[in-house]
Amino acid sequence: MALASTKFKDLDFFNQSLESGYKLLPFNFIKLDDSRYVITNIAGEYLVITKEDLYAVANKQLCPGSPVYNTLKSKHFIYDDDSSVALELLALKYRTKMAPLANFTGLHLFVTTLRCDHSCPYCQVSRQSEDKAAFDMTPEIADKAIDFTFQSPSNEIKIEFQGGESLLNFEMVKYVVEEATKRNQTENRDLQFVIATNLSPLTDGMLDFCLKYDILISTSLDGPEELHNGNRPRPGKDSYEKVMTGMQKVRELLGPDKLGALMTTTKDSLTQAKPIIDEYVEQGFSSIFLRPLSPYGFAIKTKSFDAYQTEEWLKFYKEGLDYIIELNKQGLYFIEDYTALILNKMLTPFGTTYVDLQSPSGMAISAIVFNYDGDIYASDESRMLAEMGEKRFRLGNLLQDTYEGVMLSDALLGPLEATITESMPMCNDCGFQNYCGSDPVYHYATQGDIIGNKAFSGFCKKNMTIMRHLIKLLEDDPEARDVLLSWVRV
Amino acid sequence: MTKESTTPLVKNDDGSLIILFPKSVYSLDAVKKASYKFTDSCSFLINEQNTAYEVLCKPTADIPSKALDELVNSFCNEVLDQDLRERIASETHAVRSLILAQAFSKTSLLEG
Amino acid sequence: MLQLHTTKIECLTTSSEEAFIARLSENDQYPLPLRGKEIFLAPETHSGKLPDGFRAYFILRKNLDSVEANQDFPNVFIIPNDQHYLRDGDVIRFDPKRIKLHTLYRKNSQHNSLLVTERCNNYCLMCSQPPKDIDDSYIVQDLLVAIPLMRRETEEIGITGGEPTILGDDLIRILRALKNYLPSTSVHILSNGRNFANIDLARKVAGVKNHDLMIGIPLYADISNIHDYVVQADGAFDETIKGIMNLKRHGVKVEIRVVIHKQTYERLPQLAEFLARNLLFVDHVALMGLEMMGFTKANIDELWVDPIDYQPELVRAIDVLARYNMNVSIYNHQLCLLDKRLWPFNTKSISDWKNEYMPECEPCTLKEQCGGFFSSALFKYSDHIQPFSESEMPTKNAPQPTL
Repeated sequence: MALASTKFKDLDFFNQSLESGYKLLPFNFIKLDDSRYVITNIAGEYLVITKEDLYAVANKQLCPGSPVYNTLKSKHFIYDDDSSVALELLALKYRTKMAPLANFTGLHLFVTTLRCDHSCPYCQVSRQSEDKAAFDMTPEIADKAIDFTFQSPSNEIKIEFQGGESLLNFEMVKYVVEEATKRNQTENRDLQFVIATNLSPLTDGMLDFCLKYDILISTSLDGPEELHNGNRPRPGKDSYEKVMTGMQKVRELLGPDKLGALMTTTKDSLTQAKPIIDEYVEQGFSSIFLRPLSPYGFAIKTKSFDAYQTEEWLKFYKEGLDYIIELNKQGLYFIEDYTALILNKMLTPFGTTYVDLQSPSGMAISAIVFNYDGDIYASDESRMLAEMGEKRFRLGNLLQDTYEGVMLSDALLGPLEATITESMPMCNDCGFQNYCGSDPVYHYATQGDIIGNKAFSGFCKKNMTIMRHLIKLLEDDPEARDVLLSWVRV
Repeated sequence: MTKESTTPLVKNDDGSLIILFPKSVYSLDAVKKASYKFTDSCSFLINEQNTAYEVLCKPTADIPSKALDELVNSFCNEVLDQDLRERIASETHAVRSLILAQAFSKTSLLEG
Repeated sequence: MLQLHTTKIECLTTSSEEAFIARLSENDQYPLPLRGKEIFLAPETHSGKLPDGFRAYFILRKNLDSVEANQDFPNVFIIPNDQHYLRDGDVIRFDPKRIKLHTLYRKNSQHNSLLVTERCNNYCLMCSQPPKDIDDSYIVQDLLVAIPLMRRETEEIGITGGEPTILGDDLIRILRALKNYLPSTSVHILSNGRNFANIDLARKVAGVKNHDLMIGIPLYADISNIHDYVVQADGAFDETIKGIMNLKRHGVKVEIRVVIHKQTYERLPQLAEFLARNLLFVDHVALMGLEMMGFTKANIDELWVDPIDYQPELVRAIDVLARYNMNVSIYNHQLCLLDKRLWPFNTKSISDWKNEYMPECEPCTLKEQCGGFFSSALFKYSDHIQPFSESEMPTKNAPQPTL
């Protein structure tokens, strides 16, 4: 067996350039379990290798052309004299990952009113009040908010109405939709509206309006009737019934694709992962977001409490994810949204704009909030925190401040600069850095410090545990891997 | 400066530990970074001796002796890992700058 | 297999012409002023005298009896029966002195390909068209004459070599001619991509603004030294990758072409991962069977692997590419060797003039859907060719790979 003639050179000839040894490309690593490490390159591609191989790589003990060598070379962890194009490819991939940053603010939350017919204990902001003047957004504020919105350089602009119960001030929803649409005739952005509502005030007239402007509806569904009504008290104790009726109407008039639902996890939810998921399945949803317990409702500033809560929530999440994977194996395509988000970060060349998993923090970049009174916040959580008396993340007020003033304010730039994961202690060399983010509001709420000591951080513990869990599933459980890969969207 | 210890690991009666990391092998940064990671379970005092860094490690809660051994093991391994991270970071510092410079200078293909 | 070249030509009268490019016409009523540029191809139905005024006359040997070859016309030729496929509107290069006829373009074919040079800067182990280091610049001049003669409605024209980019500005001239004379024709160039590492060339090619231009570029491994070995050129991998990036920077469509053989099949899944993570923006990926032409025959021991033996790697590769939503096709494969999960990706891709089926295929009920063989496959093909019978017909919804 040989090549036909001396005109051809054999493989050894082309391997000569490997003999001068290889060089490392930048990468981070983290322990996966007792024997394995996850290594991630600068563009967020990961590999699972043994501890021995990890130390061999760094100590330049790899055998050129061996399978491990080729895998590390192919995935851009090392390069050799034969090829340097890895550098250009990495630069391109890094840039692609960062591209969503350049699009800047896409999501704009308009708080049309703080009034609400529900009195959910986890909500810090709603008011049970008839006083419209005190808690409703005025046209003057709305105009300023629309101006502010269109100053975003983003081509995709999403306006989401929040509350209180946003529909209790439907007049304002209508006003903003009509004005923004008018404005967009010259702006020509990709403009999309979402109404976040508990659906109880929903009328046919409102639905007609939604149909006309192609508005999406996002509602709250916490789980089965008993849990939902317990979490979300309202006079008549019929929140669940109202949501069911409302959802049916939305599906009939706007179509099922226009309806989304979010759940809030409470202490009572933690033992009910399966029933909650079943509720979503029965309601015809194709995904659920198993959201973490919010620290704001509990006003916790003790680190150990944070850790304890996280532990309990992780149990809930894993139980839920296991069940969802089972459902998929049985033939139902059903996604856990947070998992899908992380998988997309791990397995695609693209970045995301999900606010909690951004570096620097997604504050004001992923989303910005216009409160009913004109106050501007960097995120919905900042608004919650402000209602609890901590106004640190209030960026300004629409009536007094300009776009530039707000976007270049210390209240925003300070945390943004401080929360680049590349520079935070424990984050800067973490193997999961590419997939994670920084949540300054969370760390401020739990530790009184926007950076926080990650050794105590529930945020860190949560994400590390989930990421380890997902990588183990991808590596060790072929059936789960098939399911998880089917959630990745390119 | 306290009297120099010579045994690499000493268990004190009050439950605290003294661990020595030879300077010829470990960097101060690696010792510090590893300690920081364990601040949820121990408090640390790091002293510099002539030939070693002396880490006084005091668990913040009572830990059974077996768990303490495991803690020490993973702490020592973490110092090794941190040391490796440092070496990788310093070896790849220049190429990393090169990649980032290129990432922010050329037109991209995948945006949008 | 169609014979696109022939030298078995007999001149019935006199000829003093240099080689020339001309279109064939079967129309004896063709307007007189235009005849001087065309060759009259006597159709089967023709009888009697030849129409006057054409530049030359071709008569298929088997039709000779019915034609009255006018002795006073120069340039009347008898062409062999294997040229029966020639039709009105085809464009040929004809060298009366050396009696060489070469078909450049067939009006009714979907597979017209222009060979623009035989020179190449790679020396691939399995090259089907071994490069020649000769001055063949006349080819460009010929093509610039031939292109305006092609049917404006032509759907696609291929450009092959050799390595077309070696022509530099001459390639740009050919592309311009295609753009100007065939403005709605898709153009597909087969290139190794290396010269596009020079971004100026990528910019120039993009600047021609051809209708639907795609450049098919081979990539044989995710590992530089393996790719370089296959193409027998050190440094080729880096240049090819840079070339692909440069073309995409200028908005030119790129197709990645992977020939599967003994040196490439093992890392096919890793190559797929590499494409998905690094070159997700390419427009098409073709995973192709080996053609038994040129160097392949000589290097057969280093290249041949029965397609049945690389199905696991092919399934994994396709799985990755499809999962990443890449547009992927399998070329040059026989259905009976393909894992059924791959059938939806199989494409009949072999050019009509060299597409064949083996004797084993005679009773097969799926021949219509099958890619078949290159005519060269007679040299060597799989031992596992199995005709399908009626009962084995797959359902309409062929199974998809699990994603």
